[in-house]
Amino acid sequence: MIALSDYLLLGALLFAIAVAGIFLNRKNVIILLMCIEIMLLAVNTNFIAFAHYFNNLSGQIFVFFILTVAAAEAAIGLAILVVLFRNRHTINVDDLDMLKG
Amino acid sequence: MPVEANSMIAILPEIVILTVACAVLVIDLYLPDERKDINHIVTIIGLATALGAISLIGSDKVTYAFDNSFIRDPLSDLLKGVILIVTLFTFVYSRDYMQQRQLWIGEYHVLILFAVLGMLIMVSANNFLTLYLGLELLALCLYALVAFDRDSKAGAEAAMKYFVLGALGSGMLLYGISMLYGASGGFFGFAQIADIAAAQGTDNQLLVFGLVFVLIGVAFKFGAVPFHMWLPDVYQGAPMPIVLFLSSAPKVAAFAMAVRILIEGLGGLQTDWGEILIILSVLSFVLGNVVAIAQTNIKRMLAYSTISHVGFIFLGLLAGTAAGYTAAMFYTVVYALMAAGAFGILVLLSTQGIEAEQLDDLKGLSERNGWLAAMMALIMFSMAGVPPAVGFMAKLLVLEAAVSVGLVWLAVLAVIFSIVGAFYYLRVIKLMYFDKPQLEQPLVIDGTATIAISINGLAILFLGLFPASLLQVCGVAFG
Amino acid sequence: MGFEKLLFYIFAAVTLFAASMVITRRNPVLSALYLVMAFVSSAALWLLLEAEFLGIVLILVYVGAVMVLFLFVVMMLNIDVATLRARFIHYLPLGLIVAGIMVFDMFLVLGPADFGLDQFAKPQSQPADYNNTAALGQILYTTYLYQFEIAAVILLVAIVAAIRLTLRHRPETKYQDPSNQVRVRKGSDRVRLITMPAEPVPPSLTATLGATHTEMTE
Repeated sequence: MIALSDYLLLGALLFAIAVAGIFLNRKNVIILLMCIEIMLLAVNTNFIAFAHYFNNLSGQIFVFFILTVAAAEAAIGLAILVVLFRNRHTINVDDLDMLKG
Repeated sequence: MPVEANSMIAILPEIVILTVACAVLVIDLYLPDERKDINHIVTIIGLATALGAISLIGSDKVTYAFDNSFIRDPLSDLLKGVILIVTLFTFVYSRDYMQQRQLWIGEYHVLILFAVLGMLIMVSANNFLTLYLGLELLALCLYALVAFDRDSKAGAEAAMKYFVLGALGSGMLLYGISMLYGASGGFFGFAQIADIAAAQGTDNQLLVFGLVFVLIGVAFKFGAVPFHMWLPDVYQGAPMPIVLFLSSAPKVAAFAMAVRILIEGLGGLQTDWGEILIILSVLSFVLGNVVAIAQTNIKRMLAYSTISHVGFIFLGLLAGTAAGYTAAMFYTVVYALMAAGAFGILVLLSTQGIEAEQLDDLKGLSERNGWLAAMMALIMFSMAGVPPAVGFMAKLLVLEAAVSVGLVWLAVLAVIFSIVGAFYYLRVIKLMYFDKPQLEQPLVIDGTATIAISINGLAILFLGLFPASLLQVCGVAFG
Repeated sequence: MGFEKLLFYIFAAVTLFAASMVITRRNPVLSALYLVMAFVSSAALWLLLEAEFLGIVLILVYVGAVMVLFLFVVMMLNIDVATLRARFIHYLPLGLIVAGIMVFDMFLVLGPADFGLDQFAKPQSQPADYNNTAALGQILYTTYLYQFEIAAVILLVAIVAAIRLTLRHRPETKYQDPSNQVRVRKGSDRVRLITMPAEPVPPSLTATLGATHTEMTE
């Protein structure tokens, strides 16, 4: 029998991997965006696990909306990335140093 | 379950804004470049209609709609009104600026209107799902607006930083919400979570765990230290009218988010989140005021000033009393007006082919346009907390709230650092009145904008002299 | 029941492996492909949790659209991979420490002591004729109608914003406009052939032309 804690720990590990990824890949914006997708995957897994063990569909509804928003977010994020690359010819975070004070 | 007519009446302001946004989106397609002002007129009429709708359906009674996912109460009426008024100012101030830079296009109106819709949804959210969707609607519009001038190198960089950190903040918030969903046994309505928080308190480990993540998310959206990294860069990189919008209305929505989550949802854990807010508050007003002194770029300076004001708003919230919440709300409303005025003047200054980004650009403003300089001086006095401007009253109220719950050391610290902060506000006034202007020619601005800035500036003075009416309205919201 | 547990461990292991590969790869294309792997195995886990509709949506929408968009952008931008990794090792200890602390805290709160089978028993499986999609649709269009409309607006904003940011009209690009082509009328708009008398050639030019002509024939 799979316990609720198994799923929650899986979600926790995924979330930790995402946070570690954000620290490790501070230079590469595309991988940063992917880390955020992993973070949302962890959240979704939590919601679905809770919904299943509580026998309550509202968690699945929440996941449905997170997926919708994440798709819109990815579209805008990648559009900004394209604008950035057109203007600066780089997506290296270290080269993004115009804004300082 | 059929949709009831009452529900539709309750969301009337949202419907008006959505209709106007879609109308502008379509009308814009058929407008030649020289007649883009029609977008402007439609938008202004729409915002005014939404304001009318709020006063039409507003009352002291609380209305719920759509299976308790929507709430309309005095709090939401007031905050929605403030958001719409500040947005009206934004459009009036930014017209010349955007026109001169070929950015006066339909998408500018559409994205700001959708952002306003997102904020209205947030203010009226009664569960985490609605709140999250409103927040994301707002955030997605703001990311795009920051990169709106797509040939600007700084704008693209600012948008990227804003996007990555904003998405990270949303991720944290969502993880916290998933924990609260588990802690409450399968609910994400604020009322149900409040029941669990009241009944179990800190015995429910998962609830506290979720609270921490949710608080991180809220702090990210407010831009409180140590989650403020995005704020100065975004202010510096984004086009000036976008900063004007970004710095004013979304702070009101963020305040509504904090009230709904922390007070209405997790009020039972007030002592726990109060302690975390003390840390965030102290860090914010210390770092904000100290770092602002070192800035030569006025956008960055006002960004750090924003961070310090967030510290003061938290100061009211963490007191955990009705008086404290009222003070925090009063502070937020006043801050939105001050930010709109300050950035509005910078937008108006930037219209003659220059960007008024550096402090030096303000030199000798009194000789070039005396009235504008007077309004800027008034706003700076208000931000610094000098009476009789309303900023003094706002600071006094939050300090009073903190002292009343025994946090005297915190209040003393806040006073010390607001005196430190007064230095850089007064420096602006010195530059305007005692330095020689870099450009000699007088600054002429159009009539509507002059009227708007006068209303904005004099409102700050008027509210400072007669704060009772606004204070009473804020008080009603917290019963 | 034992088989289900086996499936859980297999898919959970694959998900975690793929997620850690995403954050450690040098090449963003590989990262994107590993992310696809993580999504597919997560979708399998969601099926185990009887969230059939979302499992399918995760594959169709996420793998099918969002990840393809990621890959498309990675390919389009032609990124210099080597420079992006130079200081990876530099951040490694910090990343590991932060992740380690988080995992430790999370295990304390979310571990089997509080969320084991004793506290939350595995619920009864739904009957064979239960339709997850229908059940979700039922509440999506009634209870969650308001949120559904907001989600629609969010997608509209994504369209408007993405077009505003990336669509450029390039005046130097030449292209055909069929509607203009169709609108051409006989007579004034078309190419006209005109008959005209031959121009007389000036004598000086005849001389040079004649000379060249003779040279070329030689």
